[in-house]
Amino acid sequence: METGSKGILSEIMTRTEYEFSVKRKDDRGNVRYSRYMVPKDRISTVLEGLIYITENLDQTLSVRYSCRMEICGSCGMEINGKPKMACSTIASKLGTDKIRIEPLKHYDVVKDLVVDIDPFFEKYREGLPYIIRDDDGNYASELKQTPEEFKEYEKYSMCIKCGLCLDACPIVGTDPDYIGPAAMAGVLRYNLDSRDQGSKYRLEIINGEEGTSRCHFVGECSEACPKGVDPSFAIQLLRSQGLKHEIGKIFRRE
Amino acid sequence: MESRAGVLEWFRFKGKGIGYFGYAFQRLSGVVIVFYLYLHYIVLSNLLRGPVTYNDIVGSITYGPYDIFVAFDVLLALVIFYHGANGIRLALNEMGIGLKHNKLFFYLFEAVSMVLLVAFLYYAWRFIAVG
Amino acid sequence: MMENRNLIRPKTSRGTLGPVQWFFQVISGVFLVFFVGVHLYLAHINFGHPIAFYDSVLNNMHNPWWLAFYIAFDWIVTYHALNGVKGIIYDMGIKPSTRKVVAYGLIALYVVSIIYGTALAIAVSHIAVPPP
Repeated sequence: METGSKGILSEIMTRTEYEFSVKRKDDRGNVRYSRYMVPKDRISTVLEGLIYITENLDQTLSVRYSCRMEICGSCGMEINGKPKMACSTIASKLGTDKIRIEPLKHYDVVKDLVVDIDPFFEKYREGLPYIIRDDDGNYASELKQTPEEFKEYEKYSMCIKCGLCLDACPIVGTDPDYIGPAAMAGVLRYNLDSRDQGSKYRLEIINGEEGTSRCHFVGECSEACPKGVDPSFAIQLLRSQGLKHEIGKIFRRE
Repeated sequence: MESRAGVLEWFRFKGKGIGYFGYAFQRLSGVVIVFYLYLHYIVLSNLLRGPVTYNDIVGSITYGPYDIFVAFDVLLALVIFYHGANGIRLALNEMGIGLKHNKLFFYLFEAVSMVLLVAFLYYAWRFIAVG
Repeated sequence: MMENRNLIRPKTSRGTLGPVQWFFQVISGVFLVFFVGVHLYLAHINFGHPIAFYDSVLNNMHNPWWLAFYIAFDWIVTYHALNGVKGIIYDMGIKPSTRKVVAYGLIALYVVSIIYGTALAIAVSHIAVPPP
């Protein structure tokens, strides 16, 4: 969309438009920023802006999205330097008409705003995020749980696996093997679940070199989390759980 | 590949929370102090070389031609007091205290620490000057 | 305990005293605030003689309690420092095989440092104070 050719007209037109500056990367690895003018009265969220761009301005822009309501975890990206979900970021609340959009940091970029999210899921799986029982699995009825028991771990079960916390964590940036805040919030979610008996297996993993001892309590992960999972607090709790487990191991051997 | 950021990313704290700034400078101050620790070993080893040599060295870095080291000492004191105050905040976090009020705790501890630093520098300066 | 057949074997290393090391890092840090505070006061404010010249250092080290203080101080500060350095090096993203090398290297450095520091302290405490 062209801005007006006359000076005053172009002034007026930019005040009715957002300037999206999107970081692009093509299949040859060339990186550049593409500039798009998106009318303010056609969009409310940043994701709607990106969809507007793909439908009207530039079909080659690649962006990942699905539910548009902050539950699928697909549309994570850096908006004006901060990791956010595009579907829940309202463009007029950003405080500026110039919106800079970049893919998530600390992930390899496939194309434009699409990143390779596989390492995130591998790390999440390493935390054994499922109910583990020590018995043979034959039950007379379902494993019961009271609402109070659910409240214990409810906060940590809110994770939508969006990957924003790994963007925010400075350790993940320099050490890709660090298991990361999301995986550890997942570990705590299952450790606190009253139906689970597998704490000891998970604590063995996060007591290792790439677990809780690598967190330095920067707190950015909790800031970035769109669902209030508070992974930095989860890691603090896991530190004391892990320490008790470690000390218990020493005494059990003797 | 984009997934590996450089170590300089630890210091890009602009626009981020107070925890990021605290972390960056805790690391930096820690490295400076470790470097000083070994330097201190070297200076103290001169005690074995007798009073004249030792007093010469200490005198020259306090009063004598190398008294630029006093400026470095002031910076070192700043770094140590920062590292200690932030460290206390982190120790309290480990025990579960103040996890929701990081900004407040950071500024509180650092303010107390800087007050103590000024008091320390004042008395230390008086000590050098007066003896 | 019964081994669960359904576990996926994880790739990361198993418990290797990570939380214990972290706990000692925090505890040693708290102790060091005290140790460093006492040391800075003594060395820069009240050493009985301007800036810790030879005689006053020796007199201080002749006292067995202060000798014990400095030896303990040395052991704790070197642990805290080298553990911190280990964290920084690990965070730079080194391979698992390199991590082992770094860990053992730093342990060796720790042993060498505390042997040297303790020997120095004891040697200094045995030097006779020269007559004025």
